[in-house]
Amino acid sequence: MEHVVDIADFKVSRDPQDQLVTYSLGSCIGVAIWDPVVRVGGMLHYMLPESSLSPDKARRNPAMFADTGVPALFRAAYELGASKKQIVVKVAGGSQLLDDNGTFNIGKRNYVMLRKIFWKNGILIDNEDVGGSVSRTLRLDVGTGRLTLKARGKEIVL
Amino acid sequence: MSTAIRDILQRVGSLPPLPDTAIRLMNVINDPRSTVDEIVEVIRYDQAVTAEVLKLCNSAYFGMTRTITSLSEAMVCLGTVKVLQLVMSVHTSALLSKAQIGYGLAPGMLWRHSVAVALAASATAQRINLGNVSLAFTAGLLHDIGKVVLNEYVAEEFLEIVRRVREEKLAFVEAEQAVLGYSHEEIGGRIADVWKLPQPIIQSIRHHHDPTRLVPPDPFVDTVYLANCICLLLGIGLGEDGLYSRASDAVMQRNGLKESDLENIGAQMLLDLRKVEQIFEGQSNRSTRPTPGPGVEHTHDS
Repeated sequence: MEHVVDIADFKVSRDPQDQLVTYSLGSCIGVAIWDPVVRVGGMLHYMLPESSLSPDKARRNPAMFADTGVPALFRAAYELGASKKQIVVKVAGGSQLLDDNGTFNIGKRNYVMLRKIFWKNGILIDNEDVGGSVSRTLRLDVGTGRLTLKARGKEIVL
Repeated sequence: MSTAIRDILQRVGSLPPLPDTAIRLMNVINDPRSTVDEIVEVIRYDQAVTAEVLKLCNSAYFGMTRTITSLSEAMVCLGTVKVLQLVMSVHTSALLSKAQIGYGLAPGMLWRHSVAVALAASATAQRINLGNVSLAFTAGLLHDIGKVVLNEYVAEEFLEIVRRVREEKLAFVEAEQAVLGYSHEEIGGRIADVWKLPQPIIQSIRHHHDPTRLVPPDPFVDTVYLANCICLLLGIGLGEDGLYSRASDAVMQRNGLKESDLENIGAQMLLDLRKVEQIFEGQSNRSTRPTPGPGVEHTHDS
């Protein structure tokens, strides 16, 4: 069954029939995780780097921000039996407007924040497709861990 | 003049117009001397829309303890701004809900984008003390109206438009202009002219991708431009034109806005958009979020 991960949202699953999909990643970032041993998958679609912007919104919508959304995604996957050592992490999004001055650099800051969080926690990114000005769609097959990325009308396996 | 261009211009004239009451309402909103009674008078003229708006006001979402039976009552209970938002959303939803294949927008996506820009525009207007929040909402709602006409021409020339974007580093709207002779901004502006919409709305439709061309600058147009940037960045109703739109430092600076202001407006817009969708979901099948099934053990989505 297909489950849509909306913006500022995350979902995890251990049902091999499930697909987690997130549409229209612009400057937002999609984080897909999968544990090949217990076959648990998860996906996060966060919109902004730091919860300090609005602690109140972060409390109610942890998936809105990188620094609250990423821990929430991993915790939910651990609850389903996934383990940090086994989890494979893939990332997409972080697009930018056509911008000579770098004023509207939410996409870039979203990505930098993610790298910082992963670095602090000793997590490596297995594969990624970030930047540019395209809209991206990510789809994770929970049963096989196959992650596809659709952008510019083409689909690739990430 | 090429056949395509003549065709496009003919389509502008033959687009089903917005209801007369919607246009009169915009003119009333545009006039700072208008009273709430005058606004109610204009809305009430369209009985179908009034009935639908009252139904929305009585939806479970608002949790009213008693049934709202008149527009004046709705204005008191929910506030004029909110009622006007509902009325304008009802007026435009049929026109904006269809798929726009040329832009890669599935049914409902253009409407979702338009409502998001409308919400972000009213928040931005509030942030820079622009005054007329309801007019900013309406301008946001209609900013992409040109796409409804240009859609099929974009579909025909899509590969060429995308080639120009990629090879010549053009914004998508600039490539439309280069390949088709018209952009969705210009076509939207012409539609707004034909409909005789208030001048600030026409201007913001016509320049919502590049307000820096306007001399002197128009803070109302800036507002719709920034709202559109926020929604493109956040991917709300994002199509094949993606983020191929120009960011402008100057527009931020001349309105005294920082990046954190945009982030705040964006975060609040998303929460407001969910509320609007909840209100409308109760009435139709425009749901964008399927309910989670048994396989999903944990979901966070408030």
